[in-house]
Amino acid sequence: MKFVTLGDLRIWLNRLTLENEYTLVAPCDVDGHVLYRPIASGDEVLLDYQRPELSPKDCLLPATEVMLQIEKRGDEVVQKELLSDRTQVLFGVRPCDAHGFAVMDALFLGQDPPDLYYRHHRERTVLVGLACPQMWEACFCTSLGGAPDDPTHLDLLLREVDGGYAVEVVTERGSALLDGLTVQEWEGELPPPVTRAETVPILSPQEWRSLFEEERIWKRHGERCLSCRLCAYVCPTCRCFDVTDRVVEERAGVTRIERIRVWDACTSTNYRRAAGGHNPRPTKPGRLRNRFYCKFCYYPEDFGPVGCVGCGRCIVSCPVDVDIGEVLRDVAEATLPPACGGTFR
Amino acid sequence: MQLDEPLTLQLRDHARQLLESGQVACVVGYEASPRGGARPVFIYDPTDADRLIWSAACVHNLVTYLHDKKKPLRRNEQPPHVAVVVKPCDSRAINILLAEQQIERERVFVIGVACEGLQDETGERLARCSRCVDRVPVVFDVLLGEPPESLSAADEDEYSDLARIEEMPPADRLAFWLHEFDRCIRCYACRQVCPGCYCTTCMFERDDGLWVDIGIELPQKHVFHLGRALHLAGRCVDCEECERVCPMGLPLSLLNRSLTREVDSLYSHRAGRDETLNPLLFELGEEGSPI
Repeated sequence: MKFVTLGDLRIWLNRLTLENEYTLVAPCDVDGHVLYRPIASGDEVLLDYQRPELSPKDCLLPATEVMLQIEKRGDEVVQKELLSDRTQVLFGVRPCDAHGFAVMDALFLGQDPPDLYYRHHRERTVLVGLACPQMWEACFCTSLGGAPDDPTHLDLLLREVDGGYAVEVVTERGSALLDGLTVQEWEGELPPPVTRAETVPILSPQEWRSLFEEERIWKRHGERCLSCRLCAYVCPTCRCFDVTDRVVEERAGVTRIERIRVWDACTSTNYRRAAGGHNPRPTKPGRLRNRFYCKFCYYPEDFGPVGCVGCGRCIVSCPVDVDIGEVLRDVAEATLPPACGGTFR
Repeated sequence: MQLDEPLTLQLRDHARQLLESGQVACVVGYEASPRGGARPVFIYDPTDADRLIWSAACVHNLVTYLHDKKKPLRRNEQPPHVAVVVKPCDSRAINILLAEQQIERERVFVIGVACEGLQDETGERLARCSRCVDRVPVVFDVLLGEPPESLSAADEDEYSDLARIEEMPPADRLAFWLHEFDRCIRCYACRQVCPGCYCTTCMFERDDGLWVDIGIELPQKHVFHLGRALHLAGRCVDCEECERVCPMGLPLSLLNRSLTREVDSLYSHRAGRDETLNPLLFELGEEGSPI
């Protein structure tokens, strides 16, 4: 194990911001909110924070990404892709969010063909983790196979210890990034993170299939859902997007169009609306059921991993307290009283 | 959060009677949230009425859920009769929906609660409650709790926090708002929680939107928030739920209250005080219009 002092870590972060090769993205204080942002100086990087309010998925699946620029001059049409070749260093990634990237990889990289845009970003991203000293409010990473100090999906993992940080090198890519960081060899004892004993039950996809008709569960939890997109947008594994073309310039003889892809969310009212206007998922309970079935049944069936890493963000941010842990317990028990107004279809 | 036990018991009794007598099919109220505080709940069975609570944590404006009850569950059925628990601020939204013919008065049983103001988790009075003097809902079928004999003045001037923004030169004011809008993630929680935002397809979310595309970028967020505020001018009841639910802490009520004051000064109209349509939409351009 290696060790770095706080002072040397700051120097290294500052150097990363100065090198042309890298964009450094790290948690910082944005008007009182802890968010991952590209930063200009290593001094802005927060080291003492809990769970940033948004996951860093924006770095691999931007909220808005220009996929293509199309320029039409008379009969001539030129198409241009605009992907940046810079390497991004994501610093201060929590182990659950790195797990979230692994979940998205299963779809975006694991399928043939892979998603070229996601792959482009993924290949140019180094993940430097910072272990959580404890599980925060509503965290349940240990129920999904993770841990507050799980190095599995990271390139480097830092753990706070007396006087600095213990550095665990997980991958070659992580090792290469350490050039220029003053590290010492270290034999100290790593303090175990504080975890909670209670877990959230995660059923198998087969069990989920057998419970599909249990509409009372979804009526009970879904009726107060607002159909906003908050849970999906804070989620490190929700990866639905919409694609549209927009005209950005139109003048004599020249039209410029951008093809963008933008985050979307299955909880929103019109997500499932088809051509002609039919919406086969017209109710809130139905949409909430889909959200859960996507995460715990369809995604693992189709791509392997469960679509949840237990980061707890949806729990703390839901304006009406739809609680994924509570729902999962109710699904596992399937013992709700029948008094929730019956079915929703 | 400490329950208001006498009021909670009254609420449960009323809900039970309403459901047992068949007067309503559902009571929309509050239950204790596993995270502490309160959250919306839908009670269909009289034996479930004991889940209802009242406390100073009952922040949500439940009138927004009446939109889900406008249509019958199945074709050829009638829409359900519903009871809803309202605070004074929430009750104004009922008048808006009645005036705009969104709900039928006879299908909604209004359980009004005399409100002393709400508190956050730390026991601090909510900012919106410090500006409010209303203690009794403007519309109700039954009133629970004791209304105070005389109204006390608001702790804070209703518009004092607007002054700080209005003192800024226009360029600084724009910079202030763009800085705030920049944090928005376009999750639409503000719109979804709003009882006044009920368009089937929001003009800011159309696939073929002429004015704004689906991008989650500053220009779209700017247009969305200003547009939404304007669509609510003269209709916003100042429940400030939009500001509460915003995950990024945008001070949205500043926009809404700025327009509330504007409409009030032009038309002497405060949204939802009674069941009248917004004059801003219907008196514009007529002779005698203040604009």
